[in-house]
Amino acid sequence: MIIFNNVNYNIDGKSILMNIDFTIKDGEFVAIVGPNGAGKSTLIKLLLGLIDDFEGSIEIDGFDHIKWLRQHPIGYLPQKEIFDRHFPATALDIALMGLASKLSFGKRFSRSDIDKAKKSLEVCGAQHLHKSLIGSLSGGEFQRVLLARALLTDSPYIVLDEPEASIDRPGVLGFFEILRTIHATGKTIITISHDLHTLSSYCTFLVCLNKTLHCHSQMDLVDAEVIQKTFGESFHIIEKDY
Amino acid sequence: MIYNFIIYAFLGCVLSGISLALFSPFVTLRKISYMGEALSHIAFAGIALALFFGLNIHITTLLFVVIISLLIGIVSKRFKLDEANAITIFLSVSMSIGIILISLKNNYTFDLASYLFGNVLLIGKADIVQLVILSAVNLFFILFVYKELFYLTYNAEIAGVYRIRVKLVNYLFLILLAVNIVINLKIAGIILVSAQLILPAVIAFNIAKRFTWAIVIGVLVSMISAGIGFLLSWYFNLPTGASIVVFEFCIFVLTLTFKRKHN
Repeated sequence: MIIFNNVNYNIDGKSILMNIDFTIKDGEFVAIVGPNGAGKSTLIKLLLGLIDDFEGSIEIDGFDHIKWLRQHPIGYLPQKEIFDRHFPATALDIALMGLASKLSFGKRFSRSDIDKAKKSLEVCGAQHLHKSLIGSLSGGEFQRVLLARALLTDSPYIVLDEPEASIDRPGVLGFFEILRTIHATGKTIITISHDLHTLSSYCTFLVCLNKTLHCHSQMDLVDAEVIQKTFGESFHIIEKDY
Repeated sequence: MIYNFIIYAFLGCVLSGISLALFSPFVTLRKISYMGEALSHIAFAGIALALFFGLNIHITTLLFVVIISLLIGIVSKRFKLDEANAITIFLSVSMSIGIILISLKNNYTFDLASYLFGNVLLIGKADIVQLVILSAVNLFFILFVYKELFYLTYNAEIAGVYRIRVKLVNYLFLILLAVNIVINLKIAGIILVSAQLILPAVIAFNIAKRFTWAIVIGVLVSMISAGIGFLLSWYFNLPTGASIVVFEFCIFVLTLTFKRKHN
Protein backbone atom coordinates (compact mmCIF):
# COMPACT_ATOMS: atom_id res chain seq x y z
CA MET A 1 0.00 0.00 0.00
CA ILE A 2 1.27 3.47 -0.88
CA ILE A 3 0.08 6.50 1.10
CA PHE A 4 0.75 10.14 0.18
CA ASN A 5 0.28 12.21 3.35
CA ASN A 6 -0.36 15.90 2.61
CA VAL A 7 2.58 16.18 0.20
CA ASN A 8 3.62 19.67 -0.95
CA TYR A 9 6.50 20.45 -3.26
CA ASN A 10 7.80 23.88 -4.34
CA ILE A 11 10.69 24.96 -6.55
CA ASP A 12 11.99 28.49 -5.86
CA GLY A 13 8.70 29.44 -4.21
CA LYS A 14 6.62 28.12 -7.12
CA SER A 15 4.15 25.43 -6.11
CA ILE A 16 4.52 22.23 -8.14
CA LEU A 17 2.35 19.93 -6.00
CA MET A 18 -0.18 20.98 -3.34
CA ASN A 19 -1.88 18.99 -0.58
CA ILE A 20 -1.48 15.59 -2.21
CA ASP A 21 -3.30 13.16 0.03
CA PHE A 22 -4.35 9.75 -1.27
CA THR A 23 -3.87 6.01 -0.88
CA ILE A 24 -3.08 3.35 -3.46
CA LYS A 25 -4.25 -0.08 -2.34
CA ASP A 26 -2.37 -3.23 -3.30
CA GLY A 27 -3.30 -4.74 -6.62
CA GLU A 28 -4.75 -1.57 -8.17
CA PHE A 29 -4.08 -0.49 -11.75
CA VAL A 30 -3.66 3.24 -11.18
CA ALA A 31 -3.74 5.87 -13.90
CA ILE A 32 -2.43 9.33 -13.09
CA VAL A 33 -3.82 11.84 -15.56
CA GLY A 34 -3.58 15.58 -15.93
CA PRO A 35 -2.44 18.27 -18.38
CA ASN A 36 1.20 19.06 -19.16
CA GLY A 37 2.92 20.70 -16.20
CA ALA A 38 0.40 19.21 -13.74
CA GLY A 39 3.20 17.65 -11.68
CA LYS A 40 2.58 14.01 -12.69
CA SER A 41 6.23 13.11 -13.33
CA THR A 42 7.24 15.03 -10.19
CA LEU A 43 4.79 12.94 -8.15
CA ILE A 44 6.41 9.76 -9.50
CA LYS A 45 9.91 11.12 -8.78
CA LEU A 46 8.90 11.84 -5.19
CA LEU A 47 7.62 8.29 -4.84
CA LEU A 48 10.88 6.88 -6.26
CA GLY A 49 12.98 8.97 -3.88
CA LEU A 50 14.56 10.95 -6.73
CA ILE A 51 13.38 14.20 -5.10
CA ASP A 52 13.69 14.49 -1.34
CA ASP A 53 13.16 18.16 -0.42
CA PHE A 54 9.36 18.06 -0.15
CA GLU A 55 6.90 18.58 2.70
CA GLY A 56 4.65 15.82 4.02
CA SER A 57 5.39 12.12 3.87
CA ILE A 58 5.07 9.10 1.63
CA GLU A 59 4.62 5.62 3.06
CA ILE A 60 5.17 2.33 1.27
CA ASP A 61 3.90 -0.79 3.05
CA GLY A 62 3.88 1.06 6.37
CA PHE A 63 7.43 2.41 6.11
CA ASP A 64 8.78 5.82 5.20
CA HIS A 65 9.31 5.47 1.44
CA ILE A 66 13.07 6.24 1.56
CA LYS A 67 13.54 3.56 4.21
CA TRP A 68 11.50 1.09 2.14
CA LEU A 69 13.37 1.96 -1.07
CA ARG A 70 16.71 1.25 0.63
CA GLN A 71 15.66 -2.38 0.91
CA HIS A 72 13.57 -2.79 -2.27
CA PRO A 73 13.87 -1.55 -5.81
CA ILE A 74 10.72 -0.45 -7.66
CA GLY A 75 10.22 -1.47 -11.27
CA TYR A 76 10.34 1.89 -13.04
CA LEU A 77 9.91 2.87 -16.70
CA PRO A 78 10.80 6.53 -17.17
CA GLN A 79 9.18 8.69 -19.83
CA LYS A 80 12.46 8.84 -21.72
CA GLU A 81 15.43 6.81 -20.57
CA ILE A 82 18.49 8.89 -21.33
CA PHE A 83 21.41 6.96 -22.78
CA ASP A 84 23.96 7.30 -25.54
CA ARG A 85 22.47 5.71 -28.71
CA HIS A 86 25.86 4.10 -29.34
CA PHE A 87 26.10 2.62 -25.84
CA PRO A 88 27.30 -0.96 -26.40
CA ALA A 89 24.60 -2.69 -24.35
CA THR A 90 22.19 -5.37 -25.55
CA ALA A 91 18.53 -5.71 -24.57
CA LEU A 92 19.62 -8.56 -22.28
CA ASP A 93 22.16 -6.31 -20.49
CA ILE A 94 19.42 -3.75 -19.78
CA ALA A 95 16.92 -6.38 -18.62
CA LEU A 96 19.55 -7.84 -16.26
CA MET A 97 19.71 -4.46 -14.49
CA GLY A 98 16.46 -5.51 -12.79
CA LEU A 99 18.30 -8.35 -11.05
CA ALA A 100 21.37 -6.33 -10.04
CA SER A 101 20.04 -5.36 -6.60
CA LYS A 102 19.71 -9.05 -5.68
CA LEU A 103 23.41 -9.62 -6.26
CA SER A 104 25.98 -8.58 -3.70
CA PHE A 105 28.45 -5.79 -4.49
CA GLY A 106 30.87 -6.85 -7.22
CA LYS A 107 29.17 -10.19 -7.90
CA ARG A 108 28.55 -11.10 -11.54
CA PHE A 109 25.35 -12.38 -13.17
CA SER A 110 25.10 -16.17 -13.23
CA ARG A 111 23.77 -18.42 -15.98
CA SER A 112 20.47 -18.73 -14.08
CA ASP A 113 20.21 -14.90 -13.88
CA ILE A 114 20.63 -14.72 -17.65
CA ASP A 115 17.94 -17.39 -18.11
CA LYS A 116 15.60 -15.45 -15.81
CA ALA A 117 16.20 -12.27 -17.81
CA LYS A 118 15.49 -14.08 -21.09
CA LYS A 119 12.27 -15.47 -19.58
CA SER A 120 11.20 -11.98 -18.53
CA LEU A 121 11.91 -10.66 -22.03
CA GLU A 122 9.72 -13.49 -23.31
CA VAL A 123 6.84 -12.47 -21.01
CA CYS A 124 7.09 -8.97 -22.49
CA GLY A 125 7.26 -10.24 -26.07
CA ALA A 126 10.89 -9.24 -26.56
CA GLN A 127 12.70 -12.59 -26.37
CA HIS A 128 13.91 -12.29 -29.99
CA LEU A 129 15.64 -9.00 -29.15
CA HIS A 130 17.94 -10.20 -26.39
CA LYS A 131 21.09 -9.93 -28.50
CA SER A 132 20.11 -6.63 -30.16
CA LEU A 133 21.99 -3.46 -29.30
CA ILE A 134 19.68 -1.01 -27.53
CA GLY A 135 20.45 1.74 -30.03
CA SER A 136 18.88 -0.37 -32.78
CA LEU A 137 15.53 -0.95 -31.01
CA SER A 138 12.33 0.91 -31.86
CA GLY A 139 10.53 2.88 -29.13
CA GLY A 140 8.01 0.08 -28.59
CA GLU A 141 10.67 -2.65 -28.48
CA PHE A 142 12.72 -0.67 -25.99
CA GLN A 143 9.68 -0.14 -23.72
CA ARG A 144 9.15 -3.93 -23.66
CA VAL A 145 12.79 -4.42 -22.64
CA LEU A 146 12.33 -1.84 -19.87
CA LEU A 147 9.17 -3.63 -18.73
CA ALA A 148 11.12 -6.93 -18.62
CA ARG A 149 13.72 -5.15 -16.46
CA ALA A 150 11.01 -3.83 -14.12
CA LEU A 151 9.48 -7.31 -13.75
CA LEU A 152 12.82 -8.86 -12.80
CA THR A 153 12.97 -6.76 -9.62
CA ASP A 154 10.07 -8.85 -8.24
CA SER A 155 8.76 -5.57 -6.84
CA PRO A 156 5.04 -5.54 -6.04
CA TYR A 157 4.94 -2.10 -7.72
CA ILE A 158 5.55 -1.20 -11.36
CA VAL A 159 5.68 2.53 -12.07
CA LEU A 160 5.43 3.87 -15.63
CA ASP A 161 5.74 7.44 -16.86
CA GLU A 162 3.77 7.83 -20.09
CA PRO A 163 4.80 4.50 -21.60
CA GLU A 164 2.72 5.15 -24.71
CA ALA A 165 4.70 8.30 -25.58
CA SER A 166 7.39 6.38 -27.45
CA ILE A 167 5.20 3.61 -28.88
CA ASP A 168 3.34 3.82 -32.17
CA ARG A 169 -0.47 3.57 -32.05
CA PRO A 170 -0.85 -0.14 -32.88
CA GLY A 171 1.82 -1.00 -30.33
CA VAL A 172 0.08 0.80 -27.44
CA LEU A 173 -2.73 -1.71 -27.09
CA GLY A 174 -0.28 -4.64 -27.21
CA PHE A 175 1.78 -2.99 -24.49
CA PHE A 176 -1.25 -2.38 -22.26
CA GLU A 177 -2.34 -6.00 -22.80
CA ILE A 178 1.02 -7.12 -21.37
CA LEU A 179 0.44 -4.74 -18.45
CA ARG A 180 -3.00 -6.30 -17.93
CA THR A 181 -1.40 -9.78 -17.73
CA ILE A 182 1.16 -8.51 -15.22
CA HIS A 183 -1.60 -6.79 -13.22
CA ALA A 184 -3.50 -10.09 -13.11
CA THR A 185 -0.56 -11.65 -11.22
CA GLY A 186 -1.31 -9.30 -8.32
CA LYS A 187 1.12 -6.48 -8.98
CA THR A 188 0.18 -2.85 -8.42
CA ILE A 189 0.62 -0.84 -11.62
CA ILE A 190 0.93 2.94 -11.44
CA THR A 191 1.06 4.71 -14.77
CA ILE A 192 1.00 8.29 -15.92
CA SER A 193 -0.84 8.69 -19.19
CA HIS A 194 -2.46 11.12 -21.57
CA ASP A 195 -4.38 8.34 -23.27
CA LEU A 196 -7.52 8.28 -21.11
CA HIS A 197 -9.51 6.40 -23.70
CA THR A 198 -7.19 3.39 -23.80
CA LEU A 199 -6.61 3.51 -20.06
CA SER A 200 -10.29 3.39 -19.22
CA SER A 201 -10.47 -0.27 -20.21
CA TYR A 202 -7.45 -1.24 -18.11
CA CYS A 203 -7.16 0.85 -14.97
CA THR A 204 -9.12 0.37 -11.77
CA PHE A 205 -8.23 3.60 -9.97
CA LEU A 206 -7.90 7.10 -11.38
CA VAL A 207 -5.89 10.01 -10.00
CA CYS A 208 -6.70 13.35 -11.66
CA LEU A 209 -3.90 15.78 -10.95
CA ASN A 210 -3.31 19.40 -11.79
CA LYS A 211 -0.84 20.57 -9.13
CA THR A 212 -3.47 19.49 -6.63
CA LEU A 213 -5.75 16.45 -6.63
CA HIS A 214 -9.07 16.81 -8.42
CA CYS A 215 -10.12 13.28 -7.78
CA HIS A 216 -8.78 9.94 -6.71
CA SER A 217 -11.25 7.13 -6.80
CA GLN A 218 -12.32 3.93 -8.52
CA MET A 219 -12.34 4.35 -12.27
CA ASP A 220 -16.07 3.72 -12.73
CA LEU A 221 -16.96 6.43 -10.20
CA VAL A 222 -15.21 9.22 -12.08
CA ASP A 223 -17.39 11.38 -14.28
CA ALA A 224 -16.46 13.44 -17.32
CA GLU A 225 -17.03 16.70 -15.43
CA VAL A 226 -14.21 16.03 -12.97
CA ILE A 227 -11.84 15.10 -15.77
CA GLN A 228 -12.77 18.27 -17.63
CA LYS A 229 -12.09 20.27 -14.44
CA THR A 230 -8.64 18.66 -14.17
CA PHE A 231 -7.64 19.40 -17.73
CA GLY A 232 -9.33 22.79 -18.04
CA GLU A 233 -12.03 24.18 -20.29
CA SER A 234 -10.28 23.21 -23.52
CA PHE A 235 -10.54 19.47 -22.78
CA HIS A 236 -13.11 17.42 -24.61
CA ILE A 237 -13.66 13.69 -24.32
CA ILE A 238 -13.64 12.09 -27.74
CA GLU A 239 -14.67 8.49 -28.24
CA LYS A 240 -12.13 6.65 -30.32
CA ASP A 241 -11.85 3.10 -31.57
CA TYR A 242 -8.57 1.38 -32.34
CA MET B 1 73.90 -0.65 -26.49
CA ILE B 2 70.48 0.25 -25.10
CA TYR B 3 70.64 2.26 -21.92
CA ASN B 4 68.40 1.49 -18.95
CA PHE B 5 66.73 4.89 -19.11
CA ILE B 6 65.52 4.14 -22.65
CA ILE B 7 64.02 0.82 -21.58
CA TYR B 8 62.37 2.55 -18.60
CA ALA B 9 61.06 5.30 -20.88
CA PHE B 10 59.62 2.71 -23.31
CA LEU B 11 58.02 0.67 -20.52
CA GLY B 12 56.75 3.85 -18.84
CA CYS B 13 54.95 5.01 -22.00
CA VAL B 14 53.33 1.59 -22.56
CA LEU B 15 52.27 1.15 -18.92
CA SER B 16 50.95 4.71 -18.72
CA GLY B 17 48.89 3.93 -21.83
CA ILE B 18 47.51 0.73 -20.27
CA SER B 19 46.49 2.39 -17.00
CA LEU B 20 44.66 5.26 -18.70
CA ALA B 21 43.12 3.15 -21.49
CA LEU B 22 41.42 0.94 -18.89
CA PHE B 23 39.42 3.99 -17.78
CA SER B 24 38.92 5.32 -21.28
CA PRO B 25 35.61 3.55 -22.23
CA PHE B 26 33.93 4.70 -19.01
CA VAL B 27 35.22 8.27 -19.29
CA THR B 28 34.25 8.52 -22.97
CA LEU B 29 30.74 7.05 -22.67
CA ARG B 30 29.95 9.09 -19.57
CA LYS B 31 31.01 12.13 -21.59
CA ILE B 32 33.35 13.26 -18.83
CA SER B 33 36.49 13.30 -20.97
CA TYR B 34 36.89 16.95 -19.95
CA MET B 35 37.54 15.61 -16.43
CA GLY B 36 40.95 14.34 -17.58
CA GLU B 37 41.98 17.76 -18.76
CA ALA B 38 40.40 19.54 -15.79
CA LEU B 39 42.04 17.27 -13.20
CA SER B 40 45.43 17.59 -14.95
CA HIS B 41 45.19 21.39 -14.75
CA ILE B 42 44.08 21.25 -11.13
CA ALA B 43 47.03 18.94 -10.45
CA PHE B 44 49.30 21.70 -11.76
CA ALA B 45 48.35 23.85 -8.74
CA GLY B 46 49.05 20.86 -6.50
CA ILE B 47 52.55 20.50 -7.99
CA ALA B 48 53.18 24.24 -7.53
CA LEU B 49 51.95 24.04 -3.94
CA ALA B 50 54.31 21.12 -3.18
CA LEU B 51 57.26 22.94 -4.81
CA PHE B 52 56.49 26.18 -2.95
CA PHE B 53 56.28 24.60 0.49
CA GLY B 54 58.87 21.87 -0.19
CA LEU B 55 56.34 19.02 0.29
CA ASN B 56 56.14 15.58 -1.33
CA ILE B 57 54.90 16.25 -4.87
CA HIS B 58 52.83 13.08 -5.35
CA ILE B 59 50.99 13.15 -2.03
CA THR B 60 50.37 16.92 -2.08
CA THR B 61 49.11 16.86 -5.68
CA LEU B 62 46.90 13.87 -5.07
CA LEU B 63 45.35 15.36 -1.93
CA PHE B 64 44.88 18.68 -3.68
CA VAL B 65 43.14 17.08 -6.69
CA VAL B 66 40.86 14.94 -4.50
CA ILE B 67 39.92 17.93 -2.27
CA ILE B 68 39.19 20.18 -5.24
CA SER B 69 37.15 17.39 -6.93
CA LEU B 70 35.04 17.02 -3.79
CA LEU B 71 34.67 20.82 -3.56
CA ILE B 72 33.42 20.93 -7.16
CA GLY B 73 30.80 18.30 -6.30
CA ILE B 74 29.71 20.09 -3.11
CA VAL B 75 29.65 23.62 -4.59
CA SER B 76 27.72 22.59 -7.72
CA LYS B 77 25.15 20.65 -5.68
CA ARG B 78 24.76 23.15 -2.81
CA PHE B 79 24.60 26.29 -4.92
CA LYS B 80 22.84 24.63 -7.89
CA LEU B 81 25.72 25.60 -10.14
CA ASP B 82 26.19 23.71 -13.40
CA GLU B 83 28.96 21.12 -12.83
CA ALA B 84 30.77 21.98 -16.08
CA ASN B 85 30.85 25.65 -15.03
CA ALA B 86 32.06 24.76 -11.52
CA ILE B 87 34.85 22.64 -13.02
CA THR B 88 35.94 25.45 -15.35
CA ILE B 89 35.99 27.95 -12.47
CA PHE B 90 38.09 25.67 -10.22
CA LEU B 91 40.32 24.73 -13.16
CA SER B 92 41.22 28.35 -13.99
CA VAL B 93 41.59 29.34 -10.33
CA SER B 94 43.85 26.34 -9.68
CA MET B 95 46.03 27.14 -12.71
CA SER B 96 46.24 30.79 -11.61
CA ILE B 97 47.20 29.87 -8.05
CA GLY B 98 49.85 27.52 -9.46
CA ILE B 99 51.32 30.22 -11.70
CA ILE B 100 51.33 32.78 -8.83
CA LEU B 101 53.11 30.31 -6.51
CA ILE B 102 55.72 29.49 -9.15
CA SER B 103 56.34 33.18 -9.90
CA LEU B 104 56.78 33.84 -6.17
CA LYS B 105 59.49 31.20 -6.03
CA ASN B 106 61.91 33.41 -7.98
CA ASN B 107 64.82 31.00 -8.15
CA TYR B 108 62.76 28.14 -9.55
CA THR B 109 62.37 27.76 -13.29
CA PHE B 110 59.38 25.64 -14.25
CA ASP B 111 59.52 23.79 -17.55
CA LEU B 112 56.04 24.25 -19.03
CA ALA B 113 56.76 22.01 -22.03
CA SER B 114 57.65 19.16 -19.72
CA TYR B 115 54.37 19.73 -17.86
CA LEU B 116 52.39 19.70 -21.11
CA PHE B 117 54.10 16.69 -22.72
CA GLY B 118 55.77 15.01 -19.75
CA ASN B 119 59.37 13.90 -19.69
CA VAL B 120 59.81 10.23 -20.40
CA LEU B 121 63.57 10.34 -19.97
CA LEU B 122 63.09 11.06 -16.26
CA ILE B 123 61.30 7.74 -15.72
CA GLY B 124 63.06 5.53 -13.17
CA LYS B 125 62.63 2.03 -11.82
CA ALA B 126 60.35 3.31 -9.02
CA ASP B 127 58.03 4.90 -11.59
CA ILE B 128 57.77 1.61 -13.48
CA VAL B 129 56.85 -0.26 -10.27
CA GLN B 130 54.28 2.45 -9.49
CA LEU B 131 52.73 2.17 -12.98
CA VAL B 132 52.58 -1.64 -12.81
CA ILE B 133 50.76 -1.42 -9.45
CA LEU B 134 48.46 1.31 -10.78
CA SER B 135 47.52 -0.73 -13.89
CA ALA B 136 46.90 -3.80 -11.71
CA VAL B 137 44.70 -1.79 -9.31
CA ASN B 138 42.73 -0.35 -12.26
CA LEU B 139 42.23 -3.80 -13.77
CA PHE B 140 41.16 -5.28 -10.44
CA PHE B 141 38.75 -2.39 -9.83
CA ILE B 142 37.13 -2.78 -13.27
CA LEU B 143 36.86 -6.56 -12.97
CA PHE B 144 35.49 -6.40 -9.43
CA VAL B 145 32.81 -3.75 -9.93
CA TYR B 146 32.21 -4.22 -13.66
CA LYS B 147 28.45 -4.65 -13.23
CA GLU B 148 28.14 -1.46 -11.16
CA LEU B 149 30.47 0.54 -13.46
CA PHE B 150 28.58 -0.63 -16.54
CA TYR B 151 25.20 0.57 -15.23
CA LEU B 152 26.70 3.75 -13.75
CA THR B 153 28.03 4.53 -17.23
CA TYR B 154 24.69 3.63 -18.83
CA ASN B 155 22.50 5.89 -16.66
CA ALA B 156 23.39 6.72 -13.07
CA GLU B 157 19.89 7.85 -12.03
CA ILE B 158 18.12 4.74 -13.31
CA ALA B 159 20.85 2.51 -11.84
CA GLY B 160 20.17 4.21 -8.49
CA VAL B 161 16.42 3.47 -8.74
CA TYR B 162 17.31 -0.19 -9.40
CA ARG B 163 19.36 -0.11 -6.18
CA ILE B 164 22.75 -0.56 -7.82
CA ARG B 165 25.43 0.99 -5.61
CA VAL B 166 26.46 3.60 -8.13
CA LYS B 167 27.18 6.39 -5.63
CA LEU B 168 29.98 4.47 -3.92
CA VAL B 169 31.37 3.18 -7.23
CA ASN B 170 31.27 6.68 -8.68
CA TYR B 171 33.31 8.08 -5.76
CA LEU B 172 35.83 5.24 -6.07
CA PHE B 173 35.97 5.74 -9.83
CA LEU B 174 36.61 9.50 -9.56
CA ILE B 175 39.26 9.07 -6.84
CA LEU B 176 41.05 6.38 -8.86
CA LEU B 177 40.80 8.57 -11.97
CA ALA B 178 42.45 11.41 -10.02
CA VAL B 179 45.22 9.05 -8.81
CA ASN B 180 45.83 7.91 -12.40
CA ILE B 181 46.06 11.46 -13.67
CA VAL B 182 48.45 12.60 -10.93
CA ILE B 183 50.78 9.63 -11.40
CA ASN B 184 50.70 9.79 -15.19
CA LEU B 185 51.09 13.56 -15.37
CA LYS B 186 54.82 13.53 -14.61
CA ILE B 187 55.46 10.86 -17.24
CA ALA B 188 52.96 11.71 -19.92
CA GLY B 189 52.00 15.37 -19.42
CA ILE B 190 48.58 16.98 -19.82
CA ILE B 191 48.21 16.42 -23.57
CA LEU B 192 49.05 12.70 -23.56
CA VAL B 193 46.97 12.02 -20.42
CA SER B 194 43.94 13.66 -22.06
CA ALA B 195 44.54 11.82 -25.34
CA GLN B 196 45.00 8.41 -23.67
CA LEU B 197 41.74 8.91 -21.75
CA ILE B 198 39.72 9.52 -24.91
CA LEU B 199 41.31 8.08 -28.06
CA PRO B 200 41.63 4.37 -27.05
CA ALA B 201 37.89 4.07 -26.36
CA VAL B 202 36.78 6.16 -29.33
CA ILE B 203 38.97 3.96 -31.58
CA ALA B 204 37.74 0.77 -29.89
CA PHE B 205 34.05 1.71 -30.25
CA ASN B 206 34.67 2.26 -33.98
CA ILE B 207 35.51 -1.44 -34.19
CA ALA B 208 33.86 -3.27 -31.27
CA LYS B 209 30.17 -3.45 -30.45
CA ARG B 210 30.52 -5.02 -27.00
CA PHE B 211 31.75 -3.20 -23.92
CA THR B 212 34.25 -5.84 -22.80
CA TRP B 213 35.80 -6.02 -26.26
CA ALA B 214 36.04 -2.25 -26.33
CA ILE B 215 38.10 -2.32 -23.11
CA VAL B 216 40.46 -4.99 -24.52
CA ILE B 217 40.85 -3.26 -27.91
CA GLY B 218 41.33 0.14 -26.21
CA VAL B 219 44.19 -1.22 -24.09
CA LEU B 220 45.82 -2.86 -27.13
CA VAL B 221 45.50 0.33 -29.20
CA SER B 222 46.98 2.36 -26.38
CA MET B 223 49.92 -0.07 -25.92
CA ILE B 224 50.67 -0.18 -29.65
CA SER B 225 50.44 3.61 -30.00
CA ALA B 226 52.68 4.16 -26.99
CA GLY B 227 55.23 1.59 -28.17
CA ILE B 228 55.40 2.64 -31.83
CA GLY B 229 55.06 6.35 -30.99
CA PHE B 230 58.01 6.00 -28.60
CA LEU B 231 60.18 4.16 -31.15
CA LEU B 232 59.37 6.75 -33.84
CA SER B 233 60.24 9.60 -31.49
CA TRP B 234 63.52 7.91 -30.59
CA TYR B 235 64.42 7.14 -34.20
CA PHE B 236 63.52 10.54 -35.61
CA ASN B 237 64.45 12.48 -32.47
CA LEU B 238 60.94 13.86 -31.91
CA PRO B 239 59.06 14.72 -28.69
CA THR B 240 57.74 11.38 -27.32
CA GLY B 241 54.31 12.39 -25.96
CA ALA B 242 53.45 14.33 -29.10
CA SER B 243 54.57 11.44 -31.35
CA ILE B 244 52.32 8.98 -29.45
CA VAL B 245 49.31 11.29 -29.76
CA VAL B 246 49.83 11.81 -33.50
CA PHE B 247 50.33 8.06 -34.11
CA GLU B 248 47.18 7.24 -32.13
CA PHE B 249 45.27 9.86 -34.10
CA CYS B 250 46.34 8.10 -37.34
CA ILE B 251 44.82 4.84 -35.99
CA PHE B 252 41.67 6.79 -35.15
CA VAL B 253 41.38 8.05 -38.75
CA LEU B 254 41.94 4.50 -40.07
CA THR B 255 39.20 3.08 -37.84
CA LEU B 256 36.83 5.84 -38.95
CA THR B 257 36.99 4.48 -42.50
CA PHE B 258 36.36 0.97 -41.09
CA LYS B 259 33.33 2.28 -39.19
CA ARG B 260 31.99 4.00 -42.31
CA LYS B 261 32.29 0.78 -44.33
CA HIS B 262 30.42 -1.23 -41.70
CA ASN B 263 27.66 1.31 -41.26
